[in-house]
Amino acid sequence: MGQGMAVSESPSVSPESRDILLKVSGLTHQVNLGTDTLTILQGVNFEINRGESVAIVGRSGSGKTTLLGLMAGLDSPSQGRIELDGEAISELDEDQRARLRARRVGFVFQSFQLLPALSALENVMLPLELAGHQAPADQARDLLYRVGLGERLRHTPRQLSGGEQQRVAIARAFASNPAVLFADEPTGNLDNHTGRTISELLMTLNQEQGTTLILVTHDEQLASRCHRRFAIDAGQVSEFRESK
Amino acid sequence: MMESRHKLASARRDLRERDVRVVIMALVVAVATVATIGLFAALLQKTLVTSASAFLAADRQLEAEHGRPIPQAWWREAESRELQTARMVRFSTMVFGGEGFQLVSVKAVDGEYPLRGEIEMQEAAGAPRQMVGQGPPQGEVWLNPRLMSLLSLQMGDNLEVGNLSLTVSGLLLREPDGGFSMASLAPRIMMHADDVPATGVVQEGSRVEYVALFAGDESDLDNYYQWLRPQLEPGHEWESVRDGETLSRSLQRAERFLLLGGSLAVVLAAVAVAVASREYALGQRDTVALLKTLGMTGPGIGRLYLRRLLLWGLTGCIGGLLLALPLYWVMAVVLEQVLARPIDSGLEWRGLVPALVTALVSLFAFAYPPVRRLQSVPAMRVLRSEPGEASRRAWPDMLVAGGAITVLVWLYAGEVSLVLALLAGLAMLLGVLGLVAWVLILMLRRVAGGGTAWRLALVALYRHRRSTLSQISVFAMTIMLATTLLLVRTSLLSDWQAQLPEQAPNHFLINIAPGDVEDVDAFWRERGHPLDALYPMVRGRLTQLNGEPVRQAVSKDREVRALNRELNLTWMDTLPEDNNIVAGRWFEPGATTGVSVEAQLAERLGLKVGDRLGFTIGAAVVTEPVTSIRTVQWDSMKPNFYMAFPPGSELRSLPATWITSFYLPPEEKIALNAFAVRYPTVSVLEVDHIIERIQDIVRQVTQAVEAILALILAAALVVMAAVVSATLRDRQREGALLRTLGGRQRLLVRSTMVEFALLGLIAGVLGVLAGEAAVWALQQRMFEGEFQWHWAVILPVPLVSSVVLAVFGRWQLSPVLNVSPMLLLRRLE
Repeated sequence: MGQGMAVSESPSVSPESRDILLKVSGLTHQVNLGTDTLTILQGVNFEINRGESVAIVGRSGSGKTTLLGLMAGLDSPSQGRIELDGEAISELDEDQRARLRARRVGFVFQSFQLLPALSALENVMLPLELAGHQAPADQARDLLYRVGLGERLRHTPRQLSGGEQQRVAIARAFASNPAVLFADEPTGNLDNHTGRTISELLMTLNQEQGTTLILVTHDEQLASRCHRRFAIDAGQVSEFRESK
Repeated sequence: MMESRHKLASARRDLRERDVRVVIMALVVAVATVATIGLFAALLQKTLVTSASAFLAADRQLEAEHGRPIPQAWWREAESRELQTARMVRFSTMVFGGEGFQLVSVKAVDGEYPLRGEIEMQEAAGAPRQMVGQGPPQGEVWLNPRLMSLLSLQMGDNLEVGNLSLTVSGLLLREPDGGFSMASLAPRIMMHADDVPATGVVQEGSRVEYVALFAGDESDLDNYYQWLRPQLEPGHEWESVRDGETLSRSLQRAERFLLLGGSLAVVLAAVAVAVASREYALGQRDTVALLKTLGMTGPGIGRLYLRRLLLWGLTGCIGGLLLALPLYWVMAVVLEQVLARPIDSGLEWRGLVPALVTALVSLFAFAYPPVRRLQSVPAMRVLRSEPGEASRRAWPDMLVAGGAITVLVWLYAGEVSLVLALLAGLAMLLGVLGLVAWVLILMLRRVAGGGTAWRLALVALYRHRRSTLSQISVFAMTIMLATTLLLVRTSLLSDWQAQLPEQAPNHFLINIAPGDVEDVDAFWRERGHPLDALYPMVRGRLTQLNGEPVRQAVSKDREVRALNRELNLTWMDTLPEDNNIVAGRWFEPGATTGVSVEAQLAERLGLKVGDRLGFTIGAAVVTEPVTSIRTVQWDSMKPNFYMAFPPGSELRSLPATWITSFYLPPEEKIALNAFAVRYPTVSVLEVDHIIERIQDIVRQVTQAVEAILALILAAALVVMAAVVSATLRDRQREGALLRTLGGRQRLLVRSTMVEFALLGLIAGVLGVLAGEAAVWALQQRMFEGEFQWHWAVILPVPLVSSVVLAVFGRWQLSPVLNVSPMLLLRRLE
């Protein structure tokens, strides 16, 4: 295996804040496939500051989604340490990580992941209810208005187009006012035009809310709008900056 | 506050999901089936027992055959226990009236008689028949109509019974306790018990039976018997409905059938719940992963689903009861019509307990395990389904489920042997099924040739082998249970019908003097009603066993009625057709020693071939070795004997009378008068009314059995539907894909139908064979019938199941056929 290329020292820190939100050190992740062990990530280190937007790019199967899952605490790494907002999530158990997610983390997925039995409004209310919010319906309605779905509160996902579903998902992701938003190919299932609209919405809300955005994407256009870009290849993560 | 609204809201959301509706449907069916059967079985039991109680005219009878009245203290004790009581005295005497005299059998009853059932009488010949709740008042007497003509009596005439003259005021048509015992000598008169002392007929030492009748709560009656039992003497006989030989077997079988049906319903319900909730849980994994991603913890998920489960249980119970209650009322009304008399159809709330327990257990043993495992669905699944996740350990769940089924069936049927037979059968079936189905699937895969549709079907069966296997198992199990029930029902009913054929003997002739035997035989043959076999009869008591007094030789706790009374002993050269030797050998021609003992009695006394039995017959004692043990059809309405001796036996030197039975159609009963005039000493025992009553009861039980069978078959169909529609989504998606790839509708239809037809065929063959095996086992253990192959069922069932499933599959496919693949794929997303 090649050497891990540390990127934490790179001068790519966003100018307005040096406040570290996410710190990944010595991260290695392996999966067992019967008799073989596959190393997906090997000795990865980097930091992401509060308010930054980061795009993770790479070929299919390069480990982008795995890295995203680990950073978000959906899975725990084979080795290494991940600190999210000062908490070492790699040392928390599954339930502690879940509680952390409820407070700090939002998600947007390629396949939207809306609950089919719930209406748009109910889907957005869900994280608010889980976090014990006082008036989940009001806040959810407000968010749906902001993503332009004020007229479709009662519609179920099946009655919405792909772009509309992703807007509901974005509203849901911002509902709990997360410190960090993870997005897995948020435009991957959408046509170009709709994809652009969704990117725009994501970026705008991100800025308005001051959220840190970490996304995995194949969408060059979306990646180019982020502050930083990480590329994954052969288990290594490297950062590259283009003048923009 | 907020939290609870969230909970309620999610329960409502749940109902929008198909799998939840299936789970709830399964619960509804489970609760409805078990509740209906429970309620109806309770009603039937109550009705059967009441109508059977009428055979005793009470719930219990205590007979004192030794001629001493029943002690006052026993009456007082019964009254203090709030039991209803009635008094009865039975004896035979000569009566004088009109133009002659006649030996009659007197039944003297008090004002309380009968405690159950009614007396059918007429106030005069040609007057309307009436059902009355009391016997004649003091000073009056009711007569058997035949006696009226025998003595040429008119209404209002006097009949002298001993020293007392009674006024004839009614014709006695039917007594509620018209059961027969050999001592009851026809024809009957009924008078008031308070008149008995004045007749002077009953004296110390007279041959008279005092009878106490009791009615009340089952538990009070049982407690009273517990109190009474130690004080009973030889010659006392305690009779409950269930002791009556003829009826009790029919009742027991009906009861067992209902219990068996109930147990099968429980198993089917459990299967439906298990299948549906497993599918539900599989479908919920994405949701759980998402909820975890959104911050819900494992225990939080656990609580969420537990709450849902409880809500489903509640919904299922309410729905099931809403369905069961009207069904129950309908069945009660039908029963009332069948019986043509009002029945007490008040709800037996106890009947609902098994249903609610079933719902609870089904929920926790069958629905909860797969749902509980949702807690461990990894959150990462939200990004991609994890490899290896599909391997779900099913063993712990199956153990829980097996244990739960055992407990449920045991709770429900309360019979360990039934539970074990059922479960062993199911376990074996599942094992064999798995193996056979697996081999079949592998073989099918190697089948070459056939069209594209055929190949596609085989590929589909093989590709989904895991679900194919579980579907075959569930179908086969369902078919097995349904077949078992169907076969048991058929053999039960034909057994009953065979038991009492149209022309079953309905009259007994008793007390035929040896010199009259040939003439009596000729008398009836001339009139076209030949007698069944004639048997000699000598009355004696079994007093010794292997040289010891029998009461010491037989352990005290064995309650053997045959020891308390005189037995009818006979000799015969050939074994009656419906008897079977189970041990030893029948008498050789010309044998002079030995005795053949009835099997149940032999078992109760612990007798075996070679034991020496001593009988006291008058002053003589006859001792013989047991040479054979044989079974007897007690309900055949023919003379039956506990003890049979060879024709060359010593018994032959003792005074005997002869007994026989024959069929006499109702319209020719008048011939009995001529017979009675010619042979005044021969007693005629009329059992035609009893036979009618038994046939009545068999009819009503049959109706109940059919209704319950229908219910269980419906449950079986729901299980099938649940299982097939569990795979609906996958099949529809595949169908849509095939069409997208250019598959023509016809190809799709054919391959699906072939796939399902094969599934149905395999499951049908396995299920019907397993059903036969179960019937064989049940018949060995419970229903005492002889096993035979049921080709009429074995052949059509697999074909029917094959066709039904093919049609079902075709029907399932219709959404795929009529909608554009594009729309369908999006909808299935």
